[in-house]
Amino acid sequence: MNLNMSTNRYIHMMRSQLLIVSSLVIFAACSSVPVEQRSDVRDTYENDNRAIFDFNMGVDTYVIEPVASEYRKAVPEGGQTAIAHHLAWAGLPSTAINSTLQGKYENAGLAVLSFAINGLTLGFIDLMGDDATPIHKEDFGQTLAAADIEEGSYLMVPFLGPHTTRSLTGRVVDMVLNPYSILDAGAPLQTWQTARIPATAVSFRAANFEAINDVKYNALDPYARTRSVYYQQRNGLLGDQLRGDGASSVDDEFEDFFGDDG
Amino acid sequence: MTRRFFSRIFVIFAVFFAMSASAFADNQVGKAEAHIDNMMLDLQGFLDNDSDDIEKRKKNVTYLLDAYFDLPLIARFSAGAYWRKATPTERQTYTDIMRQVMIGTVVRNFDQLSGLEYTAAKSTAKGKKLVLVGGIFTDKAKTKEPVAISWRVTTPEDGAARVMDVEIENISMLVTQKNENIAIIRKNQGNFSALIDTMRSKINE
Repeated sequence: MNLNMSTNRYIHMMRSQLLIVSSLVIFAACSSVPVEQRSDVRDTYENDNRAIFDFNMGVDTYVIEPVASEYRKAVPEGGQTAIAHHLAWAGLPSTAINSTLQGKYENAGLAVLSFAINGLTLGFIDLMGDDATPIHKEDFGQTLAAADIEEGSYLMVPFLGPHTTRSLTGRVVDMVLNPYSILDAGAPLQTWQTARIPATAVSFRAANFEAINDVKYNALDPYARTRSVYYQQRNGLLGDQLRGDGASSVDDEFEDFFGDDG
Repeated sequence: MTRRFFSRIFVIFAVFFAMSASAFADNQVGKAEAHIDNMMLDLQGFLDNDSDDIEKRKKNVTYLLDAYFDLPLIARFSAGAYWRKATPTERQTYTDIMRQVMIGTVVRNFDQLSGLEYTAAKSTAKGKKLVLVGGIFTDKAKTKEPVAISWRVTTPEDGAARVMDVEIENISMLVTQKNENIAIIRKNQGNFSALIDTMRSKINE
């Protein structure tokens, strides 16, 4: 019985990580583009990344966009918000662990508290209230950044979208550290854990439906636009930026433009 | 006695300059905030009377962009270092097309702003020429998450305030456009006119 459960858990963990491990193998086989031919110096494997981006856009066109569109029609906006809250809640253990690893104990405590209190509703309803201290999302990629590990190249990962070498490595560790993966959970929880990645993709796509469609159908270069948004969003996370706190990850660009007196 | 006198004079001057700098920053922030407040009043008026009439929407958006945004500065920033390499004709053509692209983008997404309520938030001076004016768009029906927005406003001492950039949830629209433009130019061996051609063909689609 125990042997069976252990085997099932092992198979489940392997299945979750297969996608990322196979992605790493793909990138090992990628060829680098000379700096002068790249549209962004950080994009070492630009040609392969663009091919994978086209593949991901195909997956979006034929699977994710139609599913997200139906999801928006079928689920009321309040329900969509509750599901988004639940998915964010499920990521709190990772934030707690990584905050601790980075010495951000207050954030870790807040994440544990929020996970416990909102656990009463499985995270579907935010019981902490609007005035609660905001929690900075922390993942293992950020922990690696805090340890001064190099960011590495920009990578477009099949199904998972934009990453850097560091953030993709972090994602593998986060999956291993995920309590759902570690705990000897029952079948329903394991099924939900397996469904989390596609569920998160559909929830995110539905919440940003018009914005993503605008990039996909109206951008001059959707690939370059996606890369720029990814780096800004990622730098915001690395800088522990909160919405509306007056900080911006692109301040340097404007200082350079106007000179030192800003 | 003389030493004490000079040290007092020094303290008075230091306090005076600190107060002047603080007053300048307050004035700069106030000027930027007033500019955004006026723009939001105009925007709210247009949203209240919005219909499916695309031509009317385009006229309203054109007014907002021309009255409140610094389009020449936006064009210069969004071309990055390649602006210096462009000919005067290319610069002018690019600025005109950039304006059309911006108008098209806002017109396409204009109806998404209906049902939202704008609340001013914290503003921060960024040097002497820029202020980041913060705000939050909240869904009146409370079914969507609030959206944080920041307006990057230029505040020249001898001129009117103008919006240079909009940040939505900490993503700068201008920096995103700049990165996209530079990617297109670099992919075309540094040829600025390739960007103009790409923009033109996108508009004509």
